[in-house]
Amino acid sequence: MGSALYPSPDVMRDAIEAAGAELVTVALRRQSPQQASGSRFWELIRELNVRVLPNTAGCRTVKEAVATAQMARELFETNWIKLEVIGDDYTLQPDTAALVEAADILIKEGFEVLPYTTEDLITAQKLIDAGCRVVMPWGSYIGSGRGLVNKFALQTLRARLPDATLIVDAGLGKPSEAAHAMELGFDAVLVNSAIALSADPPTMAEAFANAVEAGRAGYEAGLMSPRDMASPSTPTLGTPFWHAGT
Amino acid sequence: MSSTAGIVGAGVLGRMMAVELNARGWAVSLYDRDTEKGEDSCSWTGAGMIAPYCELEAAEQIVTELGVYSKDKWPGWLERLAEPVFYKSLGSLVVAHPNDRDELLRLRRRVLENAPRPDIMEDVGIDRIRELEPELAERFRSGLYFPFEEHLDNRDLMRALGETIRRKDIEWNCGTEVTAVESNAVVIGDTRHTFDWVLDCRGLGAQPDLPHLRGVRGELLYLHAPEVNLSRPVRLMHPRYSIYIVPRAGHVYVVGATAIESDNRGPITVRSALELLSAAYTVHTGFAEATLIESSVNCRPGFPDNLPRILPDQGLIRINGLYRHGFLIAPALVDIVCEFIDEGSTHPLAEGIMDAWQL
Repeated sequence: MGSALYPSPDVMRDAIEAAGAELVTVALRRQSPQQASGSRFWELIRELNVRVLPNTAGCRTVKEAVATAQMARELFETNWIKLEVIGDDYTLQPDTAALVEAADILIKEGFEVLPYTTEDLITAQKLIDAGCRVVMPWGSYIGSGRGLVNKFALQTLRARLPDATLIVDAGLGKPSEAAHAMELGFDAVLVNSAIALSADPPTMAEAFANAVEAGRAGYEAGLMSPRDMASPSTPTLGTPFWHAGT
Repeated sequence: MSSTAGIVGAGVLGRMMAVELNARGWAVSLYDRDTEKGEDSCSWTGAGMIAPYCELEAAEQIVTELGVYSKDKWPGWLERLAEPVFYKSLGSLVVAHPNDRDELLRLRRRVLENAPRPDIMEDVGIDRIRELEPELAERFRSGLYFPFEEHLDNRDLMRALGETIRRKDIEWNCGTEVTAVESNAVVIGDTRHTFDWVLDCRGLGAQPDLPHLRGVRGELLYLHAPEVNLSRPVRLMHPRYSIYIVPRAGHVYVVGATAIESDNRGPITVRSALELLSAAYTVHTGFAEATLIESSVNCRPGFPDNLPRILPDQGLIRINGLYRHGFLIAPALVDIVCEFIDEGSTHPLAEGIMDAWQL
């Protein structure tokens, strides 16, 4: 889960606990990390006993992202980093070329990089080639709540990258969309706005958690293949030879 | 013999407490490390919006209740002061660019869910916007108008409160670093000044005694814009860069504010300035020719639930966590505290902010 946009830190805590989220992302770029002056807020998150995943939100260049990641490693004593390199300010669309470059640098420095990317297969493959074990494609634009806009490409990612951990990051607006991502075989989802901006974040968080469980169970149980026509579970005794009529 | 109060912290709350307790016949001493002007105080940086209904978007119901109560108290307060304060009762207007209409709808939905009465918000189209703020009608074709909201010049208010205090029989110790705030005592160096009640109004200065308190950095800009004619606060809703523009006398506009989880009080960053200015420019192109006369930065004191707290103890009462709502709720907090220490009674609005917190 993300840690931004909640009405208060208390509501955020309740939501994270209700969801049972294991990873919580924290943006530090704007909090003057040089002086560790966001520390009270970060302490609140640390107290939740979740793994903190610092992110490089707001970085626009490879250099900024790398520097922010290095600062995050010192501040949070973790080599995990959610790597964002933003290419467009309005949509927050990732700059995938810079992303691959930054990932390469950070992995060589010993980081465990979780990159925020698009649904593009080739970019995902390059990130994996650079050493990323996790790839986080978007469902749709950050904060848009539009769900899985290109479901087909996400399905392809899952099929072509069977060994990578895949997390849908960004764009989920409804619990059903989280279930959908999990049904596609994704390993996790990352949610922020949909929960933080709802009227009741803890309840929405719980709804997302349930949806994730349901979607995952559905994936594991094996989804039936859709058919083109109605196929009754019981023989339609009352209408013999109905095929003949069509 | 009259009761005695030692008030620590001369932001808007400390100053109002001093004036009110003095009026109730108390012997009041006010302490602050700041100057009389109070530039280090959060109250100096605030925008002075009295907008309890807009705040329904993010704030808890209790803040709205305190705000609605306070709203009615402000005119009386301003009459009591030694100097006039820029204060307007013209409502506030909320707009969004066509791409961001969803943000407006989200605010509308949230307010409707919690609105105490239906007439506090009005859907406005281009004609009504032209009536309210003629210069915005070309740019914005729809918005929300909150008719029962006010705004005041917070710096005027600080000055007028200061002048009032100086004319009254109140001992005001500026530039005084308080060593400790204790039950019945304000400690300065080796000296203990004793009082019937000590009121801790220090905001973030009380952090050593209130470890849950955190700073939320806010940055704002003062623009002098002769080409811009806005008469009421205008909020621009945006997925990331929501701002407000609050008019002051003489074509001065306060544009704010960022909200960053940080207790850094350093100068405004270029990024924040760009965000505030770009957003302001999209509201009114006249801001392009404005002069940037000042940037102001401070950190709002907030508890983890962003709600205010009144924490009574033996001979000591701490009032803190006003967060972004200082001017919105100060009159209510003054009444709650004064009824408690002066009359020994519990104000109906005390529930939820005076009891919920256990030290």
